[in-house]
Amino acid sequence: MSLVIDNISFSYGDRNILRCFTLQVPTGSTTAVVGPSGSGKSTLLRIIAGLLTPTTGTIILNSQDISHVPTHLRSVGMVFQDNQLFPHLNVYDNVAFGLRMAKVDKRVIAERCQGLLDLVGLTEAAKQSVSTLSGGEAQRVKLASELAKRSTGHTIYLLDEPTTGLHFEDVRRLLTVLSRLVDQGNTVLVIEHSLDVIKTADWIIDLGPEGGSGGGLIVAEGAPEVVAKTKGSYTGHYLKPMLGI
Amino acid sequence: MVSHSSSVTARNYRLLAIPAAILVLVTAIIPLVVLSTTVVRSSDIISIWQNSAVQKALVFSVWQALVSTIFTILIGLIATWYLTRYQFRGRQALIALITVSFVLPTVAVGASFIAVLPTWLHHSTFAIVVAHVFFNISIVVRTVGPRWNSIDEDLVNCAHTLGATSLQTWRYVILPLGKSAIYSSAALTFFMCFTSYGIITILGGPGLATLDIEIYRRAVQLGDLSGATVLAVAQMLFITIAFLIWSRSRSVELMTFRVAAVSQRRLAIVPKLFVGALSIFFLAPLLALSIASFRSGQNWSLSGWKVLLGIQNQRGLELDIWQALQTSGKYALIASCIALPTGIAATYALTKNGSTNSRWSSLAILPLSISPVVVGLAILVTYDFAPFEFRSSWFLIPVVHAAIAMPFVIRAALPVVQGIPPELRSAAATLGASPWKRFCLVEMPLLRPAITTGVAFSVAISLGEFGANSFLTRRESQTLPIIIADLFGKAGAIPRASGMAASLLLVIVTAIIVLSVDRKPRV
Repeated sequence: MSLVIDNISFSYGDRNILRCFTLQVPTGSTTAVVGPSGSGKSTLLRIIAGLLTPTTGTIILNSQDISHVPTHLRSVGMVFQDNQLFPHLNVYDNVAFGLRMAKVDKRVIAERCQGLLDLVGLTEAAKQSVSTLSGGEAQRVKLASELAKRSTGHTIYLLDEPTTGLHFEDVRRLLTVLSRLVDQGNTVLVIEHSLDVIKTADWIIDLGPEGGSGGGLIVAEGAPEVVAKTKGSYTGHYLKPMLGI
Repeated sequence: MVSHSSSVTARNYRLLAIPAAILVLVTAIIPLVVLSTTVVRSSDIISIWQNSAVQKALVFSVWQALVSTIFTILIGLIATWYLTRYQFRGRQALIALITVSFVLPTVAVGASFIAVLPTWLHHSTFAIVVAHVFFNISIVVRTVGPRWNSIDEDLVNCAHTLGATSLQTWRYVILPLGKSAIYSSAALTFFMCFTSYGIITILGGPGLATLDIEIYRRAVQLGDLSGATVLAVAQMLFITIAFLIWSRSRSVELMTFRVAAVSQRRLAIVPKLFVGALSIFFLAPLLALSIASFRSGQNWSLSGWKVLLGIQNQRGLELDIWQALQTSGKYALIASCIALPTGIAATYALTKNGSTNSRWSSLAILPLSISPVVVGLAILVTYDFAPFEFRSSWFLIPVVHAAIAMPFVIRAALPVVQGIPPELRSAAATLGASPWKRFCLVEMPLLRPAITTGVAFSVAISLGEFGANSFLTRRESQTLPIIIADLFGKAGAIPRASGMAASLLLVIVTAIIVLSVDRKPRV
């Protein structure tokens, strides 16, 4: 299982967001994508998910070029920045959504959803409307729905700022779920601004500066200790004292 | 103390509904009660339904309304999706065309389809259904559009990342999220088609009649006022009961005048073809109408326009278009002067400090579906007795137009009034502004776009009103739609060309009025 992003470029009009971007994401690990606003983090995740089409380059997953594979057929799960749950469905139906799309047997759906709601601690809320959930609960429902669809151990999970607005207890729960995913062999690619979360990642990709004529490049890449020591990396600069380097 | 002052405010707000209530009482409720209690012969209540013409009209009313609604919703939903979610060249123009189509005089819509369709389709159900789709798509776009517009792009993306195909996303996400708006627009479209009068008058011909046509025929041509009244009251009751049952079971979504910002997504080939075909569908009848106004039989001719403008005389066609324009303009002005303050006051009564009374606000949609033909007949019968002998008074017509236009003013103003944060009023009050000053200095500037829209739509509705006019207009004070219907009722190429020219004139005036306010973004 491997994800290779090869020579990807993307721009909005004249504004370069990603420039000749090449990257190999270590699989079975957590990779944090960091960088200032507008540096192309969300764009990168959307290109991997197939929601945006790059102007050049290819995306290779498990030695297969998936650049032209539609989103719904990619082995990619995504948790969006503002935590998109279907407002007309309750908690259980949100978790079951992906399985129903794949026409999975009802009994299997019930079994799998039950297990996932237990895992994210929301068994009691199954019939609840999603509008009544707190930010942390909604985030866990979203994660459960992604897990329900693809708990295969060969999935890439893309998370766009999943800890924004969460209580530290909810952040801890989320990190527990993410580490379980990685333990199962999945790959997690997460955009984060919280240094507490970034420092726990196996790998960091520091993008910058802001998109435009000079933007859309990788400033630093590697394990947290490596990024912390990289000159010119803002993330490294702030990470250094946290890691005691 | 707080609860006392807030209950006083709530009561004051409710008092603002009085002018609107009086308007509805005078133009609809009292006439309908008088109509059903004075002229009906008890024997007619049952026997009228045994009449084969009535049975035929009833069956036709229902089935043409059903078919028209199905096609309007199907085409309207696809159009709404592309108009609200995509950016493409001509999008604003298409929205403008769709908006104008809804306020076009129904007789002018009928005339446009006479102009565009081949002769063998002129008096057919097909022509009626197509004209109804043309006229009512705006309801779907304006009701479902704002709802779909508010769906976050990432929610759709989310369905895709969970494995849903485009069709599955429509079936399980997009349609359910627009469900109540879709039901609302379907119900309103059905009611509008069921009570269709102007379009059927022109496109129905002698063979195809709806209940409204049958009411007019009985009241005016056969002199059977009792039979006509039974039909009118039955139709009114059916629509009101159906509406009340429906509005109890689900939330009624109001049409708004906003079709807001879209994402920057581009259309693929098939959607482009659909949008192109839709643009042709809306443009072709209007273009054909323009061309037909310059044709007399098989030849190009200015006779239609000349006769209409009084430059050329034609035996049996003594038209005074200037008088008709003056009359139509006067009625439109008075109607909007009544509809605007009454509608704005009613909107405040409905919102009560920002929170909307949904039960009453859903009733604001009801007058749209009540047949103006029934209202016209009821008024004719009611105001025929001293001291209320107003039936030949000219002012009755603009008052009726105001009652028909008022729901449009409410619909334009309601989202704006709802959107004014209560904190803004509180802030002005703590700075020393009296309630009147708060209204003039804070709320009026915010309401201005809604007021402009309300006035424009009131004027457009009054200019094109046909159903009530056909009962209430006197020979010396004919309006433009009445002249158009008269011209299409006459044989010969020149009356037809003049009818086309008069329709085009009405279309142009209406389009200018509506587009001059609708192209600006609403607050």
